[in-house]
Amino acid sequence: MHYLTDRFGATERRMIWLAALVLLPVFFFPVLPIWTMKLWAPQYREGLTLTIYTNTIKGDLQNINTLNHYVGMHRITPDDFKEFRYLPQALTFFGLMALIAGLVNRRWVAFLGWLAFSGFAIYMFSDYARWLWSYGHDLDPRAAIKLPEFTPPLIGFSRMANFKVLSMPGPGTVLLGLAWLLGPLAILYEMRAASGRRRPRRAA
Amino acid sequence: MKRWIVLSLAGVVALGLASQLPGCTASRGGSGAAAAQKVYVKPGEHDTYYAFLSGGHHGNVYVYGMPSCRHITTIPVFTPEPAVGYGVDEESKVMLGGFSWGDAHHPGLSETDGDYDGRWLFINDMPNARIARIDLKDFKTRQIFGPIPNLSAAHACPFPTPNTEYVFAASRFSAPVPNRYVKVEDYAKEFRGIIAGVKVDPKDGTMSMGFEILMPPFNWDLADAGKGPSHGWEFFTCYNSEMGFDSLEVKASQAEMDFVAAVDWRAAQKAVDEGKAKMISGVPVLDPQQVKGIAYLIPVPKSPHGVDVNPSGEYICASGKLQADVSVYSYAKMKAAIDGGKFDGDRMGVPVLKYEDVLEATVPVGLGPLHTQFDDKGNAYTSLFLDSQIAKWKVGPPWQVVDKIDVYYSIGHLMASEGDTRHPTGEYVVALDKLSKDRYLNVGPTHPEAAQLIDLRGPKMELLYDFPTYLEPHYAQMIKAEKLKPITVYPMVENHKPGAIRTAEEARIERKGNRVDVYGLVVRTHFTPDIVRVNEGDDVYFHWTNLEQDDDIAHGFGILWSSCNMQVEPGETKTMRWKAARPGITPFYCSNFCSALHQEMQGYIEVSPRGTPVAAVQRPAPEKTAEVAALLKTE
Repeated sequence: MHYLTDRFGATERRMIWLAALVLLPVFFFPVLPIWTMKLWAPQYREGLTLTIYTNTIKGDLQNINTLNHYVGMHRITPDDFKEFRYLPQALTFFGLMALIAGLVNRRWVAFLGWLAFSGFAIYMFSDYARWLWSYGHDLDPRAAIKLPEFTPPLIGFSRMANFKVLSMPGPGTVLLGLAWLLGPLAILYEMRAASGRRRPRRAA
Repeated sequence: MKRWIVLSLAGVVALGLASQLPGCTASRGGSGAAAAQKVYVKPGEHDTYYAFLSGGHHGNVYVYGMPSCRHITTIPVFTPEPAVGYGVDEESKVMLGGFSWGDAHHPGLSETDGDYDGRWLFINDMPNARIARIDLKDFKTRQIFGPIPNLSAAHACPFPTPNTEYVFAASRFSAPVPNRYVKVEDYAKEFRGIIAGVKVDPKDGTMSMGFEILMPPFNWDLADAGKGPSHGWEFFTCYNSEMGFDSLEVKASQAEMDFVAAVDWRAAQKAVDEGKAKMISGVPVLDPQQVKGIAYLIPVPKSPHGVDVNPSGEYICASGKLQADVSVYSYAKMKAAIDGGKFDGDRMGVPVLKYEDVLEATVPVGLGPLHTQFDDKGNAYTSLFLDSQIAKWKVGPPWQVVDKIDVYYSIGHLMASEGDTRHPTGEYVVALDKLSKDRYLNVGPTHPEAAQLIDLRGPKMELLYDFPTYLEPHYAQMIKAEKLKPITVYPMVENHKPGAIRTAEEARIERKGNRVDVYGLVVRTHFTPDIVRVNEGDDVYFHWTNLEQDDDIAHGFGILWSSCNMQVEPGETKTMRWKAARPGITPFYCSNFCSALHQEMQGYIEVSPRGTPVAAVQRPAPEKTAEVAALLKTE
């Protein structure tokens, strides 16, 4: 138990700084896409793009919405997503926690922060999946073209009517994932270091 | 640890790149040199097909040579063409009837026994409900019939019958019949659709009113004539059987079924001849509530667009544009159901047949099927708007798609070589696309339209050539070149125009009141007379006869400071009116390059102030006449 109340090792602490470095700027500079969706159709061979940031959606929204109305999908408008109003703040908050953990130099603070971050990530993924589901299921029954209900892909390829869709996490999500991964990595590193201390390696 | 970080960073980069990939798109089509040889027509040699592409809202017809895809000429039809004086000279001005615009959708070649006979080309002006006849002897518009009374736009038009007994027109929009003030909200009660049969004189092609049928106020869309066993019937698709009058995009897409109307045109004409029609706006109109046995409705899923009868005439193919199938109906089953009186109610007096009773097969072709054409091997070709493809399928069991080809982009109509006749040649199909996007050199936001020539002779369809067209071909026709034998000059001996003269001695200027008639000759390289004296305020009618009988020696007649210009072909006489508004000198000249001394081919109009005495008849000076006569003799 005293593992949690201990201070960080030097490398561990550097990893905490790194996590803080990734997370803290999100609110101030939400520049990296967290998800991208690319749609191709015969007459859109260059593809239409939807790019999701922590605070908005950009890309060929107008075109995609115009096309979607044929099959009765809801308009995609950034204002519909309350998530954009707390997501950057939340991520920066987790960065702040990492920063505080580093400053007070206590493992338990970092551990709490990591747990909260994990819970938040799970919530956000399920939230995103729910959005996708509802876009493909809550179709206007009066639409000109009646599609069977569908769920756009969370990740990977799929076909929707005459469109091919590729859905991929953006660099933002990858960085966030790496920051999250620093948690277990730190533990792993510390465990190795601890076992090294118990059985100091002799020169061969 | 470092390796992890490097790997992770590499992952980030890879994902970022992957999301930008244009990767999963198909190729841009075409197969290179082998295809090029199939469209190459040696300089000086001729194409094997004429293709007539409608000019859409440009209001004319484009003539292409196939397989080279060369644009040969444009035939002005519903739109003035000042270069040749179409809509400017008196005759064509009268024919245009005051309209300066038309939306020409569906060219239809005249037929004998269900095959193209190369005599005339009919084409509709959708918004003004007119049909034009182009004579293929000289590629000139010779009649514009309409606006057809009671009809709000003619989209399902003209689609001639197998012996060109009739061309048809059906109202795309509905309106009160006769048109009068009503509330739009009373649509279902007051509005009606119209299907019109227009008779064609078998000798000279002259169109005249046959009959009209009062139909429910659906949007009548496309048509095709029955042939073989189904000869005597014309089929029309419709959408908006929901009878919406606003927000059609939504309201006309609700019902599971719309209809194909089958019209027994012989029965309709007989009913008119027996006096069963009511005269409305001067034309005989049949009301199916009272007159039975002239029209029936066949249910078709999901807002059909095209309807096409296969070469044998046994099957009627209709495509619900909001579904992924072509519905194939059997004429024999339709006839049996009608003869057996098996109806499922009626819509405003038009009996409705049961879908299952008439359906032969549904063919899963792909998304957005619009139109179908045929080849000589029992295959059908259906354009797929949403998939931007053409699907080739077997007419007959197992009713399956055997090949598909990409086209660029969003295909509307397609045109196979003689592909809507009893004997398609099965050589080519042309995809007529609605969008060209990036296919050609960028010329700004007004993109040209796109078309692709596809070879049908092999087991797989092969894209041969891609060419832009000006706005905006809808349907087209492709006919073997050897079936047409156009003239190259108008024989002077057949020129019976009242304004025509044949010798320099006949050249003169006659005055009656303030109307002045100039009877003149144009020959390389002079106008006779070339000095025309008139008074201020005169209406001057120039009747120019081009005495030449040599190929391609047309002369122009353009008057300065005016909209008056026309071209007079060899052997032709044309009349143009010009108002002498102000005293002064107005030059005129030959505006169509004719020969070495083309620049010298000119003249002057001398306009004297109002009231100046002018001779009732002026003739060119005798020595001048003798000079011209001498010139003409040596020619």
